[in-house]
Amino acid sequence: MRGLVIAAILLAAAPLGLPPFATTLLTEALILGLLAMSLDLMVGYTRLISFGHAAAYGLGAYACGDLLIHTRLPLPFAIFLSASITGIVGIGVAWVCTLAKGVSFSMLTLAFAQLLYAIAFKWTAVTGASDGLAGIPRRVGPFGLTQFQTRNGYYYLVLGCLLGAYAFCRVLVRSPFGAVLRGIRENEPKTISLGYNTRLCKIAIVAISFMLGGLSGALYAPFAGFANTDLLFWLFSGQVLIMVIVGGQGTLLGPIVGAAFFMLLEHVLSQYTDSWALFFGLIFIGFITFAPDGIWGLFRRRVRI
Amino acid sequence: MDFLPFLLVQCLNALSQAALLFFLGVGLTLIFGIMRIVNFAHGTFYMLGAFLGYSAAHLSGSFWFALIAGPIIAGGVGAAFEIGLLRPLYRRGDSAFLMVTFGLTLVLGDITRLLWGVDPLQISLPNALGAIVFLFDEPFPTYRLFLAAAGIIVAVAIWQFLERTRLGLLIRATSQNAEMVHALGVNVNLVRSGIFGIGCGLAALGGVLAAPMVTASLGMAGNAIIDAFVIVIIGGMGSFLGSLLAAVLVAFVQVFGTYYFPDFALAAMYLLMLLVLMIRPGGLLGKEI
Amino acid sequence: MALLELDGLTKRYGGLTAVNGVAMRVEAGEVRAVIGPNGAGKTSLFHLITGVVPATSGDVRFDGNSLNRMSSYRRCQTGLSRTFQLTSLFSEMTARENCRVAAQARLRGRWQPWGGTQIFREAAARGDEALERLGLTAIAGRSAGLLSHGDQRLLEVAMALSQRPRVLLLDEPTQGLSVEETITAVETLAGLLVDGKLTVLLVEHDMEVVFRLAQKITVMHRGSVIADDVPSVVRRDPAVQAAYLGGYA
Repeated sequence: MRGLVIAAILLAAAPLGLPPFATTLLTEALILGLLAMSLDLMVGYTRLISFGHAAAYGLGAYACGDLLIHTRLPLPFAIFLSASITGIVGIGVAWVCTLAKGVSFSMLTLAFAQLLYAIAFKWTAVTGASDGLAGIPRRVGPFGLTQFQTRNGYYYLVLGCLLGAYAFCRVLVRSPFGAVLRGIRENEPKTISLGYNTRLCKIAIVAISFMLGGLSGALYAPFAGFANTDLLFWLFSGQVLIMVIVGGQGTLLGPIVGAAFFMLLEHVLSQYTDSWALFFGLIFIGFITFAPDGIWGLFRRRVRI
Repeated sequence: MDFLPFLLVQCLNALSQAALLFFLGVGLTLIFGIMRIVNFAHGTFYMLGAFLGYSAAHLSGSFWFALIAGPIIAGGVGAAFEIGLLRPLYRRGDSAFLMVTFGLTLVLGDITRLLWGVDPLQISLPNALGAIVFLFDEPFPTYRLFLAAAGIIVAVAIWQFLERTRLGLLIRATSQNAEMVHALGVNVNLVRSGIFGIGCGLAALGGVLAAPMVTASLGMAGNAIIDAFVIVIIGGMGSFLGSLLAAVLVAFVQVFGTYYFPDFALAAMYLLMLLVLMIRPGGLLGKEI
Repeated sequence: MALLELDGLTKRYGGLTAVNGVAMRVEAGEVRAVIGPNGAGKTSLFHLITGVVPATSGDVRFDGNSLNRMSSYRRCQTGLSRTFQLTSLFSEMTARENCRVAAQARLRGRWQPWGGTQIFREAAARGDEALERLGLTAIAGRSAGLLSHGDQRLLEVAMALSQRPRVLLLDEPTQGLSVEETITAVETLAGLLVDGKLTVLLVEHDMEVVFRLAQKITVMHRGSVIADDVPSVVRRDPAVQAAYLGGYA
């Protein structure tokens, strides 16, 4: 807990000491960290391996982009409304995907994300098709607040959302509901036989995960100023999963570390080579084979010894 | 065009499409049925087959040679991967396989890009296959007829192989009870590597066959893996006949969907999958979950 | 009125009839064993009662209410707790956590997505009580997956018991146990039943266990009930001897 407070303080102080480009990079890392953490609710806590979490990200980003372009809604409201919309769509996705179990569930999540990807290419009015939505503004407000329009101000908005989401997730996974999730993770038939409606439980966690993933996408759209089909691409879904596994599943904080690690890695690698996928893949295979608990797990093992 | 000839031509179209989908799905379902592994890299082997086929055809000047060499090399890569990376994971859960093969997707995809570049590559066909025939006074590519025939031949061949040969019996036995087969003195590891190689080789065969129509490109892998997943979900995980049935169903939905509802053709495939799942969660010919 | 009533319960898989028109009345406080040779349909009967597989026809009534249309988890909530033939636990949780999750399923607020200190405390208290009754208090903090097979089987009973079930369904509780482990397990179970407050339906292979624990015995053979009475009568029933017991009695 003390480490957490120190980390939060360091992050809060970061923009004051960092050069502007680093603040931008850090903002993006936190947005991706929020996305990875939301996926961890499914992957790490419930063993629902989703290969389609880009769907949540893309939905949130498109929803937020459209709200900001077409309405006069203040920025934070647009972001939260987008997250809610994604969560509601998530209920439908979850209802379909939980018809299947195990690896079939994974395939369905992928198929669903791919369906959205295809829709995004066709539905020009809402998504701008292959051009995407460009010029997404950071609208003023509420009450004439302009702070979120600046680089540092937006950073604090993202940081606030991430901390809030973390607190929410932490309470959730430690609650009685979280205990049921853990039961599903370890032995779903037994959990049913104890009298739990596990399907409902899975639908709820997928919807919550989508909502937070949508929040992350909604934060990305005004941050980058655009939203395009890349955000829904299946390889991106896989990358988020990689962040969760490499960071350390079932720890909430691990995936945030994983996201930051890959942001940094991509940033460094892209200066020397354009074969980032090769390195991503090799690192991922290495972690799955030799360190399934991820960076967080390695770190904790070190500390304990 | 009259309705009946139109219907027949479209059916032939659908059959040729079904052949490609079948090559994709059958390898995935064989590997799953026997090894309980979902091979995420399956679409990548399909793509790899297309590129290998391009190079083989280019170097030898023969499409027929490419048709043999591409799948064999891809199958070898698959078997090597099984031995090197999957074998150590047999004691872990299903999801470990799914994720490791996803890692392989990234690695192989990037290696393909480094070797062949980012531009799509065209395989040229021998004259006999590149021609046009007239069916009911409508031009129809001979190659599509060839595809449909190839699909039927391979489907029958696999079926006979599984039903009639000693090796086929061994494979079916391994899928039911690997430990028992092991106890009978069979090298189960060898059977598994072989199956993984054959499955990848079948995907690559599909890739070589698809390349003349759609060109070999890096984007193939993504579309292929989704199609393959949809087929095994509809057909039932691990069911050979299921994958055949699903390939035909999906192909017909795609072909007729594209004609009648061009904007929703893609959604039609997913709706079909949803419908099947709601009625039979385990797929058409799969076990009930 | 009997607590658990089965009427004409039937399950067909294609041409095979696994359970054929089974009728049974289990009174409150009764300990009843269902016995029969392999493939007699005992475990299938459990699956039908708990709703894991749907019945082809027939009725399951619990405390006068029909369970026919209830899904599996709902039947458990009405007060049917079961163990599995193959031990089924949360192997990465401790024994205490296993029981806590089980007990939580019967508490108000079992879904609550926040806090839960109060719920956990109540559930843990019920779980600890069950662990104590089964003599597992000493290993309560150990990871369930690392326990001996005998302790794992007892832990599964403890999980069911911490749900304070109205009917406890035990599927071969001594399956796969060594001779000593079986003796311990049977004496522990007998200790549970001494006060006569538990209603138990027990599927069992081992005749020693059945005659030690059960007050009534239902004998199944090829999906049908061929005898249903107190142990001393069942023991002498010629049809039962022919079908199953062989030279036992």
